[in-house]
Amino acid sequence: MDLSVTLGRLTLRNPILVASGTFGYAREMASVVDFARLGGIIPKTVTSQPRQGNPPPRTVETASGMLNAIGLDNDGLTHFLHHHLPYLRTLPTAIIVNIAGKTEDEFVHMAEQLAPHEGAAAVELNLSCPNVSGGVDFAIDPIVTRRVVQRVRQVCPLPVLAKLTPNVTNLVPIAAAAAEAGADAVSLVNTFVGMAIDWRRRRPILGNITGGLSGPAIKPLALRAVWQVARQVAIPILGVGGIATSDDVMEFLLAGASAVQLGTVNFYDPTACQRVAEELPRCLEHLGAASVREVVGTLRLPGS
Amino acid sequence: MTGFAHTLAPVIENVGLARGTYRLRVHAPALAQAIRPGQFVMLRLPDSSDPLLGRPFALYDTYLDEHHQPAGIDIVYLVVGKLTGLLAHVHSGDRVALWGPLGNGFPALPALEHLALVAGGIGQTPFLAYLRELLGTRGYGGDAPRRRVDRVSLYYGVRTQELAAGIEDFRTAGATVHLASDDGSLGFKGFVTQLLAQHDAPQHLVGCGPEPMLKALANLAQRWTVPCHLSLETPMACGLGICFSCVTRVRTADGWDYKRVCVEGPIFEAAQLIWE
Repeated sequence: MDLSVTLGRLTLRNPILVASGTFGYAREMASVVDFARLGGIIPKTVTSQPRQGNPPPRTVETASGMLNAIGLDNDGLTHFLHHHLPYLRTLPTAIIVNIAGKTEDEFVHMAEQLAPHEGAAAVELNLSCPNVSGGVDFAIDPIVTRRVVQRVRQVCPLPVLAKLTPNVTNLVPIAAAAAEAGADAVSLVNTFVGMAIDWRRRRPILGNITGGLSGPAIKPLALRAVWQVARQVAIPILGVGGIATSDDVMEFLLAGASAVQLGTVNFYDPTACQRVAEELPRCLEHLGAASVREVVGTLRLPGS
Repeated sequence: MTGFAHTLAPVIENVGLARGTYRLRVHAPALAQAIRPGQFVMLRLPDSSDPLLGRPFALYDTYLDEHHQPAGIDIVYLVVGKLTGLLAHVHSGDRVALWGPLGNGFPALPALEHLALVAGGIGQTPFLAYLRELLGTRGYGGDAPRRRVDRVSLYYGVRTQELAAGIEDFRTAGATVHLASDDGSLGFKGFVTQLLAQHDAPQHLVGCGPEPMLKALANLAQRWTVPCHLSLETPMACGLGICFSCVTRVRTADGWDYKRVCVEGPIFEAAQLIWE
């Protein structure tokens, strides 16, 4: 069984990755998961400067999901490059460094600083964190998305993935902009903005008032986003949103994702990513496939 | 985090201890052999997406098999929400998803004459195993039992008598128990920290309970100039340090930063904490 997948210039051992912000900096999971089973790890988003993040409560459980408003709590790029990356590069899987800038220039400078360091297989641009007050959701605008991706491509030789927000009326032009600008793949989708209220106290539950919804609750929404973009834009897709089982993975592959990211499931079923990777070959066999590639985007539509 | 286990653990028993309060015993040998007092586990109902996430529960104690080897763990919980409400209906033979051991656990202490454990509400649950470890009647994490403290007092406050759970467990394990209740139905009428303040200062304080109680305890410790450790509980999604939900404000060399209660705690020095 050939599990390898190719996303533009990035080739991975298998299509099972763990999503940024749901796997810490991997060291937390060293005694939990055998990293060699994974196609890749995307560590928590790094920003140019350290950020304390949002006041707690930062998460709240909702029906079959959770809202989070962590606020990109991290120690900044310099710390990441000197403390986390040297560890991450020793792991037996691909490391995709996820960065977020407050401005276009910040994205570009961070990508420039990352480029000479060994250990990153690719860079994922977090164009879509919903929880950064005063920050701009870059990926609501195709023009901005195109410009950021283009400029990062110019300074950084690594494969570039653009992680997009679903909080738009139409993802297609934004994914198309990322593709035209030279992104190797798009990650679809980041969380859906939502909120939770404690009516007895007349207060929002999250310290940040609103947060990003994730978990099984959003899987149908993410699946639809992947399918819609896959039909209309010629760019490899990493599917992300509520994926928890090998069945979920197969659904995303058929919808048109070349690889997937497991996210919230890492919180409530910490060995799921490894189990899903182990189960995948049997699912592919069930369809008579000898590789992951040959099932991608093979959904049969009514009348076909 | 050596000895980490993620298992579907069979429930041995789930017995009522007090109003809305239960002791759940699960068979989980690997976890029981590794876990230490003050550490916790995440528990989740398998095959359920609502509630989706696990919840943190302190180790109440391990239980031993016929060869005196740790066979599983006990947790004591109060029904407060969706998961604990369902947990109260779990029976012997059902399975629960468990992962752990998690967190730093109680600190190793120098030899002491007198240590006081101070608990409010359901905050007594981390203290039974710690009491046994301190008095040298039980070893944890593969360590042989060794007495570290001559005398341990438990100060335990509840809203009302019906909520008091496990008092006999603590007495049997060798603690001198001092009780308080908000309504006077059990022991001293008032807060447990008010009761504690009427006694002589111990050499070390360890507290677990609601935040106002912990604040009061931290203030008393400062007044007495007695070292004090607190076990915190904050909303947690993973227990593993990967979600960054459960943070609390902790003093640092250049001000403060949010620290994850699940991996950098749940036990903190009281003087390190910055209260909201």
